[in-house]
Amino acid sequence: MKTVNLKHDSAIKHVTGQSVYVNDITTHRQLVGRVVYSPVAHARISLLDTKAALKLNGIAAILTSKDISGENQMGPVIHDELCLASDEVTFIGQAIVLIAAENEEAALKAEKLIRIEFEELERILTLQDAIKKGALIAPVRTIESGNVEEIFKSAPHVLTGELETGAQEHWYLETQSALAIPGEGKEMHIYASSQNPAETQAIVAEVLGVSKNEIDVEVRRMGGGFGGKETQGNHVAAWAALLANATRRPVGIHLFRDDDQKITGKRHRFLSKYQVAFNDEGRILAYSVELNSDAGAATDLSRAILERAMLHAENAYYIPDIKIVGKAYKTNLPSNTAFRGFGGPQGMAVIETAIDRMARFLKKDPAEIRKLNFYGFNDRNVTPYGETISNNHLHVMYDQLLASSGYTNRRHEIEKFNREHEFVKRGISLTPVKFGISFTTAFLNQAGALVHIYTDGTIAVNHGGTEMGQGLNTKIHGIAAAEFGVSPDYIKVSVTNTSKVPNTSATAASSGSDLNGMAVKNAIEKLKSRLAEVASTELNARLKKDSIVPGQVVFAENFVFSSTYPEEKIAFADLVSQAYLKQVSLSATGFYKTPGIFYDRELGKGNPFYYYAYGMSVSEMELDVLTGEYKLLRSDILHDVGDSLNEEIDIGQVEGGFIQGVGWVTTEEIKWDKNGHLLTHSPDTYKIPTVNDIPAIFNVELLKGYPNQGTIRKSKAVGEPPLMLAFSVWLAIKNAVSAVGNHEFEPEFSLPATAEKVLLSIEDIHIKSLRLNDNFK
Amino acid sequence: MSAPREKIQFVLNDQVVTVDFHADSELKPTTTVLNYLRSFPFHKGVKEGCAEGDCGACTVVIAENQGGKLRYKTIDSCLVFLPMIHGKQLITVENLADSNSLHPVQQEMVNHNGSQCGYCTPGIVMSLFGLYKNHHNPSREVIEDSLTGNLCRCTGYQPIIKAAEHVCSKADADKFKLHEAKICALLDEINRDRSPIEIETATQKYYKPLKLADALAFRNKFPGALIISGATDSALRQTKKHEVLSEIIDISDVGELNYFVGDQQDYKIGAGLSLENLKSLSAEKLPAIYNMLKTFGSLQIRNLATLGGNIGSASPIGDTLPLMLAYKAHVKLQSVTFDRIIRMDEFLKGYRSTHIRPNELITAIHLPKPEPETIIKSYKVSKRKDLDISTVSGGFSLQLEQGIVKEIILAFGGMADMPKRASDTEKHLLGKPWTRQNVEHAMKILASEFSPLSDARAGAEYRNLVARNLLLKFYAETTSGL
Repeated sequence: MKTVNLKHDSAIKHVTGQSVYVNDITTHRQLVGRVVYSPVAHARISLLDTKAALKLNGIAAILTSKDISGENQMGPVIHDELCLASDEVTFIGQAIVLIAAENEEAALKAEKLIRIEFEELERILTLQDAIKKGALIAPVRTIESGNVEEIFKSAPHVLTGELETGAQEHWYLETQSALAIPGEGKEMHIYASSQNPAETQAIVAEVLGVSKNEIDVEVRRMGGGFGGKETQGNHVAAWAALLANATRRPVGIHLFRDDDQKITGKRHRFLSKYQVAFNDEGRILAYSVELNSDAGAATDLSRAILERAMLHAENAYYIPDIKIVGKAYKTNLPSNTAFRGFGGPQGMAVIETAIDRMARFLKKDPAEIRKLNFYGFNDRNVTPYGETISNNHLHVMYDQLLASSGYTNRRHEIEKFNREHEFVKRGISLTPVKFGISFTTAFLNQAGALVHIYTDGTIAVNHGGTEMGQGLNTKIHGIAAAEFGVSPDYIKVSVTNTSKVPNTSATAASSGSDLNGMAVKNAIEKLKSRLAEVASTELNARLKKDSIVPGQVVFAENFVFSSTYPEEKIAFADLVSQAYLKQVSLSATGFYKTPGIFYDRELGKGNPFYYYAYGMSVSEMELDVLTGEYKLLRSDILHDVGDSLNEEIDIGQVEGGFIQGVGWVTTEEIKWDKNGHLLTHSPDTYKIPTVNDIPAIFNVELLKGYPNQGTIRKSKAVGEPPLMLAFSVWLAIKNAVSAVGNHEFEPEFSLPATAEKVLLSIEDIHIKSLRLNDNFK
Repeated sequence: MSAPREKIQFVLNDQVVTVDFHADSELKPTTTVLNYLRSFPFHKGVKEGCAEGDCGACTVVIAENQGGKLRYKTIDSCLVFLPMIHGKQLITVENLADSNSLHPVQQEMVNHNGSQCGYCTPGIVMSLFGLYKNHHNPSREVIEDSLTGNLCRCTGYQPIIKAAEHVCSKADADKFKLHEAKICALLDEINRDRSPIEIETATQKYYKPLKLADALAFRNKFPGALIISGATDSALRQTKKHEVLSEIIDISDVGELNYFVGDQQDYKIGAGLSLENLKSLSAEKLPAIYNMLKTFGSLQIRNLATLGGNIGSASPIGDTLPLMLAYKAHVKLQSVTFDRIIRMDEFLKGYRSTHIRPNELITAIHLPKPEPETIIKSYKVSKRKDLDISTVSGGFSLQLEQGIVKEIILAFGGMADMPKRASDTEKHLLGKPWTRQNVEHAMKILASEFSPLSDARAGAEYRNLVARNLLLKFYAETTSGL
């Protein structure tokens, strides 16, 4: 049975306001939790006095690191992140004290009475400074193939450059939230807004000093995650649990927006240095890149993020001689974390910049240079880390998109437009995405499921993934209905709960439906084979035969029948009640692990990805040369999701991911002051795209006719790859800026291309062209 | 004399609700509508996303009786103190559906996959509801304008625009239409009493006059009180800075301040006219004001914010102010005993301060009708086009006589601690031919006239470049165009 395009399973609840988020749950005698955090970037705590605050009315508990009965740790991979600062603070926003109060007002009052004194220490607040001081936070990694140095010596052309890519705030609409409810004994129930309930469970258990089986974490849905709740949703859960444990009352924490922005980590900013060698035609001969990332004050997921950046440093291009070096640095800023793309965007941005520069240097169409360098089919198809690319769709997508977007004609029209306009310029760009799917830490590629059939024939599906809006539950719903051969109304996808499915991986790396879909399928197969036994016996009895074997039993359209005698049908619900009476188990677990993937990070070699997802986009911008402001006129996107599990949901992921990427490359600028205070800590100063920032013409298509073998219903993951389609926007702006100087000068550009940076770049071009004219005089 | 009115009343869930701040210790006069609603289990649909009116997750609709018809307005409930909805109907996402069917705007949101994580959705639904009640077959521009105040981080907005287009192509025939007369009657009942509301609790005083005379009397009696007129800026002191606002005079519903008239010399704009109403009224008469209001805040903000409030706050980045200077606006100030009208530049004093006297209220802004040949234009440069605070704004006025500059006003916001004219540049250009060469020379002078700040929005260098370039832009737009 084909999966149907189900609407989002919470759509009606969303539009009526009935969807429940953590902060909407209220329980009896619930307290408000508040986090008091460091106002200085790096300091020794010389005094910490909470006595006066404790005396206030309405204060139930005030905790410091000394009150943590378990381990004072919440680092997910490397244990280098304190739950509450003890002697030293290492960033502004680091939690020092927790308050549980009867209401918010009392908590705020108490906060003002807490005395903390600091002796400030030397701090590192920029990547440049961290590099200078050699403040590495993780081992340096290298991926290398061939010998770049040799090629650089002899190549016809070599360009070198630097690129800064900025941090990005997740700006999930629902800020970090958790509600902890103490049970009997050591039990603690956590309502979390977490992409990784199993890890939330582990960290809560650790800080409380209890075993995992005492902790039960439930995630109904998140009001957006985007990676921001992969590890950092754990923090509020740990804090709420500590307060709930201390007061023996339920404690909810829901961060104020500004606190959330100040406390939590962001997309890693990178400072990358590159060198590219190429020939007259535009073929890349060698590429060397050093990716330097700002990890912030703790490791969090920085190693894996840097790794993914390195594994995407070549994007869609075959580069025979290549060297990729990755370094993660420690700074006195909140620990940076996962964000849709997980380093991929930062790695790709550099090669896309290099190619853009090559094209300008060679005075060629950058799209043609890109095509020339795409991975090949039978040769030129091995990645720098040794994985062979099969099922390469880059070429077919290029041809389709070039035609559907009218790229070539529009490029000519734009040239004409630019000749005729002094103060308005237009630019266009085509960029590809090739994104590797799988956790690069191979063991994480596993998932579990628990499927129950109840005696009325209805089905409850539990899986280890979490719903953050991406439609995972809806896809799972569709998969389960198709696999069982029943209509969707038989099925309910339950909340995610660590007591139902244990030891799960984060819903991350775009893997949610790949992994959990397969695990659910596995559980359903077990149940179907049990039901098929019952069905074959029943069908043989009804038809007075003995030839029907379980293998012939078909589940379709709410009925069960034999492929040999399809006219005799048993209603699915009837079969279930018969199975129950025959004492057949109607509950099964499912499990899945992705086969054949491995990666040796010391060597920088392996097959880290099960497959690749492809995408391509063309965007056209209009630039106001006098202010640096721009408008996105049109974007055309072609994206590869294999056979879509749900076309409407997939298109939603493509559009939403693209626009989030547009934000990263245009207006989402994060600034700190010289003391490490975040300046852009609210939507007043941090600007994500509004409805007016989307392209006036926005064509999004899914690639048709290219099923993906070996995955759930031949689909592909879709969560992250579309974000990187936004490079077409960034480079279209650059193309328009370049037109100001007739493409004679390289616009100096970092990311995001705020109007400010754009105008300064235009000014720079004006100055360079004046100087050039003066030289001719 | 009867005791002052202390309670407020509004319609919620089709019933009159009375709030008595003395009886209910949980509620304060400055409790926001958002927090009030969220205190009920049934109204958790309204969400807090930012508590500063920048995301719209808390959008609700208020309906006011205007001549027997309900006029629906979207507002950010996080910025609205409870007494501000006195005499109005409050409509939330929970009120739209019937027990057996979704409201058309909800149904179209479902049909077009307009929600992903769902957290912004209640606010988006309410903005769509406001759009549906006010526009039939709106243009893309109107749709976008209705949604600018609602941030969505998941969808990329495209499905929401489609939902808007579809639902607004149908005739407005929802249950609110059916109940209109009944609600109007309930509101009339509440609004019959025009005496002021005086709420005095242990920590706060909140006065809500409904007549100008009462407003002036309160102002006279409580000269230290915070005046709010829309409160979209002042409310942040509570929602963001957690200040306790101890004394408030809320003139948002003083009907006499809500007007727009034109006579021989002037356009006279009541200080209480909402910026959204000003926007609609200025489309033809005052195009530069219209142009500026298009990118002023969001619809939710403009529905509350007033011209008097924006001018009274005297913010260096208040978007209307440079333009007021360009229009040579006058401010009408009234007290119990005395009225006066002064020039805008005389009114402004410095950073967020004015020459208003402690017993005065801004009651009107008078814009002299420009000479037919005068060109007035407004510019706003910001990091993001919409719902952003300007990095640099400009209000420029030019009068040419045979190509010679007869009069020029170049007023800037964001370039100093208060909105300020580039007087040296103006002087330089006065009497000279309006040519590119002269303008380019003037740009150099302009660059030396200001020393703007570097802040979260932009650096000083950018601000200077933009200020300079806006003059060139003005030149280009006043000559051959771009």
